[in-house]
Amino acid sequence: MIDPDISSTRDIKYPDWQREFEAALRERDPKVLRQRVDAAEAAIFLRLQSLANGPNEHAEQEAISNALRTLRTFQREKLGYPDWNKK
Amino acid sequence: MHPTYALMADPMPKKRVLVVDDNPVVRSFVRRLFELEADFQLSGEAENARDGIEKARNLNPDLIILDLSMPDMTGLATAPLLRKLLPETRIILFTVHEDPELERFASAAGIDAVVSKYQAASELVVQARALMASREQPDHSKIRNAS
Repeated sequence: MIDPDISSTRDIKYPDWQREFEAALRERDPKVLRQRVDAAEAAIFLRLQSLANGPNEHAEQEAISNALRTLRTFQREKLGYPDWNKK
Repeated sequence: MHPTYALMADPMPKKRVLVVDDNPVVRSFVRRLFELEADFQLSGEAENARDGIEKARNLNPDLIILDLSMPDMTGLATAPLLRKLLPETRIILFTVHEDPELERFASAAGIDAVVSKYQAASELVVQARALMASREQPDHSKIRNAS
């Protein structure tokens, strides 16, 4: 299920990373998807570093965790990344 | 030679770091982080696991910063190969994934420490120094980080 925080391009709550994430969600060209996912991960990583050095933003961190779960699914199911958690 | 001159002539060599991560922004961030530290130098970067193994073989780093999720192999699958190749090299898993079982998997794979990308990246340097210090110790006591 898509998180309501990230389902609408008109209502960007977290501009530091959400636009890149939504671009990955919308990408249909498999050749471009890897770039989009990498860009979203990079934006999220840089935002996490800002958050780590600032006040606790629990709601955004929760949104980031949800976004990362989605990106991980994309990597595994659409980009063929191996699953590190395979039992 | 006077002991002072001996120290000047033979300064503590910088610890060599190899970063293996498929994301260029993360590699660049880690490179800049370690460039600021006088006791470390980034000796190489690799964009996937196989490239990382090859560069580890050629560069013989003191420390490897290893991503978990990469396109060709996971960090958990890569670590045992690195460990076999370079038994004395310390390995830090630097990951954005949070999973209660990850610490256990990492330990079983021969990884010395896990640092979460949710933490300030300076934690990497803290862990790196601790691991380099443990490398000098005879018992090679390992560092673990709850992340």
